[in-house]
Amino acid sequence: MINKNLKNLGPFSLNIEDKKIFFFDEIKKLTKYHYLKSSEYKKIIDFTNKNLFFNKIEDIPFLPIKLFKEYELLSVPKHKILKTLSSSGTTGKKKSKIFLDSDNAISQQHTLSKILRSVIGNKRLPMLIIDKNPNKISKSKISAKSAAINGFSIFGRNHTYMLNDMEEIDYLTLNNFLEKYSNNDFLIFGFTSIVYENLFSKIKSVKLKKDFRNGILIHGGGWKKMENIKVSSLEYKKRLLAKLNLKKIYNYYGLVEQTGSIFLECKFCNCLVTSNFSEVLIRDKYLNIVKNGQKGFIQVLSLLPSSYPGHSILTEDLGEIILDDKCGCSKYSTRFKVHGRLPQSEIRGCSNV
Amino acid sequence: MIIENKKVEFLVKNTKLDQIAQKPYNKEVCNFLVDFSKKIDDKNIYREFPDIKALSFWCRKGNIDKLIKNNISNELRVGLGIIFHITPSNIPTNFMYSLIFGLLTGNSNIIKVPSKKFKQIDFICKKIEELLKKKYKSLRKRICIIRYKEDEALTKLISLQCNARLIWGGDKTINEIRKISLNPRALELTFSDRYSLSVIDVKSLTKINKNEFSSLVEKFYNDTFIVDQNACSSPQMILWHGKYNKKVQEKFWSALADLVSKKYTPPDNSGIEKHNQLFENFISLKNINNFKIYKKQIYTVSLNNLNKEIHKLRGKWGYFYEFNTSNLKILENIVNTKYQTLSYYGISKSYMNFFFSNTALRGIDRIVPIGQALNINLFWDGYDLNKVLTRIIDIR
Repeated sequence: MINKNLKNLGPFSLNIEDKKIFFFDEIKKLTKYHYLKSSEYKKIIDFTNKNLFFNKIEDIPFLPIKLFKEYELLSVPKHKILKTLSSSGTTGKKKSKIFLDSDNAISQQHTLSKILRSVIGNKRLPMLIIDKNPNKISKSKISAKSAAINGFSIFGRNHTYMLNDMEEIDYLTLNNFLEKYSNNDFLIFGFTSIVYENLFSKIKSVKLKKDFRNGILIHGGGWKKMENIKVSSLEYKKRLLAKLNLKKIYNYYGLVEQTGSIFLECKFCNCLVTSNFSEVLIRDKYLNIVKNGQKGFIQVLSLLPSSYPGHSILTEDLGEIILDDKCGCSKYSTRFKVHGRLPQSEIRGCSNV
Repeated sequence: MIIENKKVEFLVKNTKLDQIAQKPYNKEVCNFLVDFSKKIDDKNIYREFPDIKALSFWCRKGNIDKLIKNNISNELRVGLGIIFHITPSNIPTNFMYSLIFGLLTGNSNIIKVPSKKFKQIDFICKKIEELLKKKYKSLRKRICIIRYKEDEALTKLISLQCNARLIWGGDKTINEIRKISLNPRALELTFSDRYSLSVIDVKSLTKINKNEFSSLVEKFYNDTFIVDQNACSSPQMILWHGKYNKKVQEKFWSALADLVSKKYTPPDNSGIEKHNQLFENFISLKNINNFKIYKKQIYTVSLNNLNKEIHKLRGKWGYFYEFNTSNLKILENIVNTKYQTLSYYGISKSYMNFFFSNTALRGIDRIVPIGQALNINLFWDGYDLNKVLTRIIDIR
């Protein structure tokens, strides 16, 4: 299914009132679509919302993110699946599986591109990847990490991996890259904690022949490891600026379940923002919508998932919606912050010892 | 008994346990338990740890006297010798009950408490240590409480010196420890994962007055929520005895939800987990009839029929399955060795006696009124520990 309403839509073209009306309309249609196409999704909705009547966006059913680990949820016949993305689950735990047919792979990529171009511009820039070369990946089954590197790669050219196979900084390669490209804009991509570990903690400035003043860093993939070393998003930016003269830094929040509609940080207020393709809601531990910007679990909604019913997902990430309208981005977007993931709680009782 | 090892932390230290057992219900042991009961009787502690209160109540003089009386027999019995107790990692006070059973049956005890630290455990061990230092010096040779992280060599060392090994824990833990051998004469007793359910007679529920009703709900709450519905004895399912009565059954769940909202603080992930389980049930269960969520806390899933796999449906933090039946004979079709406790309301004890005497089931070891599901005693998991943890000296 290709939704023509989305094809030519820019990421931030609608003002917030219009966007909300548009989004609610589209997400209702998508819910009905998956109801008809996914037998598992139908079973759930038959119990919970059989009449498919939704008054407001909060009424749209949400699937707990774990459900994608237990079940193969599809809205197209399995033989049409082109790519299967899997989450970066820790060893021993089950991983989510996300099934993309060719239409959906294209529309997710297309939207990702629209959102990213809002900060990196329309040109393909030389791209430095703060990771090792994941060259041994299979094409049909893709981990979240290589999916992200792969997905973002198309926004750059002359892709250069900064780490060698031992995951050490390869200064020769890095300096070659900087000497060639650092006089103009260049793109840097990596995972939040890996970027920090290498571009801040490990890198020796004296070994660098150029600085990073023209770099645009896009980083994401969780703050879990960062929380241990207690570095906020703002501090992260400050430190990289001080160390490498790196000025343009954008964190993103995205899930392998909704790879197209990622949430980028606003460059002025450091909040993550929704686009025309996405929305977030915050729920408390009883799964009620929280009041007045309280913290809770982040529910992510996206207009893109078409080959799997992942358009409304309750994550186990904690976050809050920023209600003030001090920044211009509030005219177009819901603004929010992510506060990491819920730690697994201790359970009393003699089972599962 | 030698356990000098750097990896071991002693909570009650004793490196030389007495290998010679005593007769059960030794006077000094009984006095020790009664004094222990008084020593941990502290209202400030109770507020934070209701399980300490339950422990103190268990060791009170009245209960110990009753146990002594019940155990009078003409047989000559003594303990087995040294018992090695491996206790579960998430019920903090369980180790103490295991120790009590070992002491009452006349044994010396080496207790491995969970490697994760609990305030209750440290508190209890401190109190034991105080008693052993003064009034009960001679009991020290019967008690050793240790903590260590999983260590096969160490477990093996202790296992080879004991006359019996008691393992409380999940099936996986038990299977791991079972690989470590014992002496040929030594005995092993395992307390594994079990499944429990409640039976409530619908008609009786329609007849009781308001006070009785709320008392029943409170008892059911205590059986369940004190341990997050995750103890072996906490009910996973209510078997409603009698024809479906929407009004009274929903009234029960609503009242439970009210109480839970007032008294219970669920962990932050419980809502998501319950929701996820519900959706998994929607997808996978073929015998699901309907569901209802009460006050966003109590999830109930009603079933169309029962099958042999029902014991695999387990909830936590207030997630129950339910089924109406006019005949308890249905238990014959579902009960297996996993079944432990059946807690009941509205059916007479004499009927239960009649029913279980005339019905052959592979499981269910305890049939107790609702409210007593967690009451641990020397009859446990189908064993009479008075007998299992002692040997008989047969004189003719």
